[in-house]
Amino acid sequence: MSRNPDPAEVLLTRRVVACVGAGGVGKTTLAAALGLGAARRGRRTLVLTIDPAKRLADALGVGTLGPEPSAIPRPVLERLGVPEGGALFAMMLDMKRTFDELVGRFAPDAAAQERILSNRIYQHVSDALAGSAEYSAMEKVYEMSARPEFDVVVLDTPPSAHALDFLEAPERLIGLLDSRVVQLLLHPAFSAGRLGLRLFQRGAHQAFQWIERITGFGFLEDVSEFLLAFEGMSEGFRRRAESVRQLLFGPETAFVLTAAASGESVAHARDLLARLAAHRANVVGVVANRVRLWPDGAKPLPAPSERKGWVEQLAAAFEAQAGAAFPARDAARAALDMLDSYAAAVARDAQATAPLLAEASLRGCFVRQVPELPRDVHDLDGLAEIERRVFAKPNDQEKA
Amino acid sequence: MQVRPLLERRLLVVTGKGGTGKTTVAAALALAAAARGRRVLVVETGRDENVPRLLGWQAGAVGYAGARTPAGPFVMRMEPYAALAEYLNVRLGVPAVVARLLRQRAFRQLMDAAPGWRELLTLGKVWHLEQAREDARARFDWIVVDAPATGHGITFLDVPRVVVSAIRSGPLRRHVRWVEELVRDPERTLLLPVALAEELPARETAELVKRLREQVGVALDRVIVNAVARPPFPPALPDLDQRLAALARTPGPEPAVWAACARHLAARAALNRHYVGEIAAGTGLPVVELPLLAAGVGGPADLATLAAKLLEAPAA
Repeated sequence: MSRNPDPAEVLLTRRVVACVGAGGVGKTTLAAALGLGAARRGRRTLVLTIDPAKRLADALGVGTLGPEPSAIPRPVLERLGVPEGGALFAMMLDMKRTFDELVGRFAPDAAAQERILSNRIYQHVSDALAGSAEYSAMEKVYEMSARPEFDVVVLDTPPSAHALDFLEAPERLIGLLDSRVVQLLLHPAFSAGRLGLRLFQRGAHQAFQWIERITGFGFLEDVSEFLLAFEGMSEGFRRRAESVRQLLFGPETAFVLTAAASGESVAHARDLLARLAAHRANVVGVVANRVRLWPDGAKPLPAPSERKGWVEQLAAAFEAQAGAAFPARDAARAALDMLDSYAAAVARDAQATAPLLAEASLRGCFVRQVPELPRDVHDLDGLAEIERRVFAKPNDQEKA
Repeated sequence: MQVRPLLERRLLVVTGKGGTGKTTVAAALALAAAARGRRVLVVETGRDENVPRLLGWQAGAVGYAGARTPAGPFVMRMEPYAALAEYLNVRLGVPAVVARLLRQRAFRQLMDAAPGWRELLTLGKVWHLEQAREDARARFDWIVVDAPATGHGITFLDVPRVVVSAIRSGPLRRHVRWVEELVRDPERTLLLPVALAEELPARETAELVKRLREQVGVALDRVIVNAVARPPFPPALPDLDQRLAALARTPGPEPAVWAACARHLAARAALNRHYVGEIAAGTGLPVVELPLLAAGVGGPADLATLAAKLLEAPAA
């Protein structure tokens, strides 16, 4: 499998690394660990996050993250082994604010901007319009990746109902702006004379009537006022959305997929992998997160049939240790139960993750397993531990 | 505070951060209620179907039409466009025209981009099923909705309120009001947040509960905390990890490995214990704990274990 890349190579050659996966699988932590890995290899790195992992931010010495990059202080970087020349920044994505900013950028004048921001429909829908939250996130990545002070931007993708919404967001926005319904609402007079559209218009007129009948009067008025306010901005939006799409699916962006060690999460991740491939996204790595693994250096447990006499041996050892008054046999049983339940958890996670890891390897991705840690990752040691696991060479992993 | 038994409600909406096991909880609840004679409906709102399999359904997708599972509950999956077609048919009464409209590319483009209607129609369908009668009684007397994950869960329940405030008049407004009344009726509807006893889910659950109280006004009376690890040793032997580490020889793995496994399990149990307390304090709600099943939730037997716990009155 020598053709499979390794994480260091990816972070040294790409401008954008996007961590994808369902909510709750540890994307934020992984994004932080990938960012740390890049910085440790001398790159000036920005981690864009959507999750205010407050204790981790505190540990990194950046306190409350805002919508502008905050630098991780030099003493912290030194503790984490980041050399001179390497740097690590973090910032929060405030998606609602970003969309308002976009309106500000593309509006032809202050009055148009005001008209949109105060439109009732905009106020209600800007959170959800055409995946605007996801689109705004992608927009911010584009903006940040163009800044000369960063070599690489690591993105913790927003938790969307469907993890690919954000990828499809530019396309959906372009599709909406180009759609004939919107064109018609914007330019009814302009399009009336064209034969192809005339046929359509009859249908559209009918559609509008129905919408009016279903929703009640006034609703479409607000919608078309909203769309009219967008007139003059749509071209700017369109061009920008196209650039964002080219960045995401171009050679400068790599995707790293994360899954938790459960059947549900793995099924979801495999579905995501297939859909990313269909978009021709460059998926370079798959990380199974919070996997229960044997401790370093342990061999798998022998089969129960080969464990005869273990209770007696353990009980004897406890008795030798603590004397005859100690309930050695109870302790031996409890210890064996403990080891059995640990083994069951390891077996379950291995079984759950195997199909994903096999598929990822076939697709030429790097494959890593990050163990479940005894504590939440909210300190430097925890983050360094994850970074070590992700950047370990695969054969180190097998030994681990 | 006396908490009303879950079985006395009509509609339970289960939500939580991704990976908390809310689908498992929804399936376990359905199984428990069906076993007690309720006519149960489960509505899945995600793209994947997971509940039918948990309830012993082996055939293909149950889809929007739904199917009765071997374990008893009827399960359906929300498909927004199917619900839209159904609603338009009821409103307009001309199925052929509706079908043509839904096939129109321009209409699809507009709807694909339009926000909120999927959530609205999902709730509308739930309302419709809640009202449905069969043989002179309610067709379903207990409905469980496996709602979208947390952030989207709020949008999901808040859409009726937003629509009512955005639309000035007309039949849609009236219909949405009925849905809004169902969501806010504490006699019928209860929201069940599902959390994990870890830092981020604990904090997110506290925020969810706060926003639901302030913004949506849906009834809440407990939080379900899933996958709570038990301490690996009996209380009489709390220091077994240290004793294992100090042994000269152990059968099988080295003493250090025995001790490392023990320490890991003990640390996870302590972590969970801590965040169960944080969740109770952060939400001000009683907590129902579900045990972590080391080998995962495999099938109906595991679900039954969880179901029994779920129907217990929560610890105040």
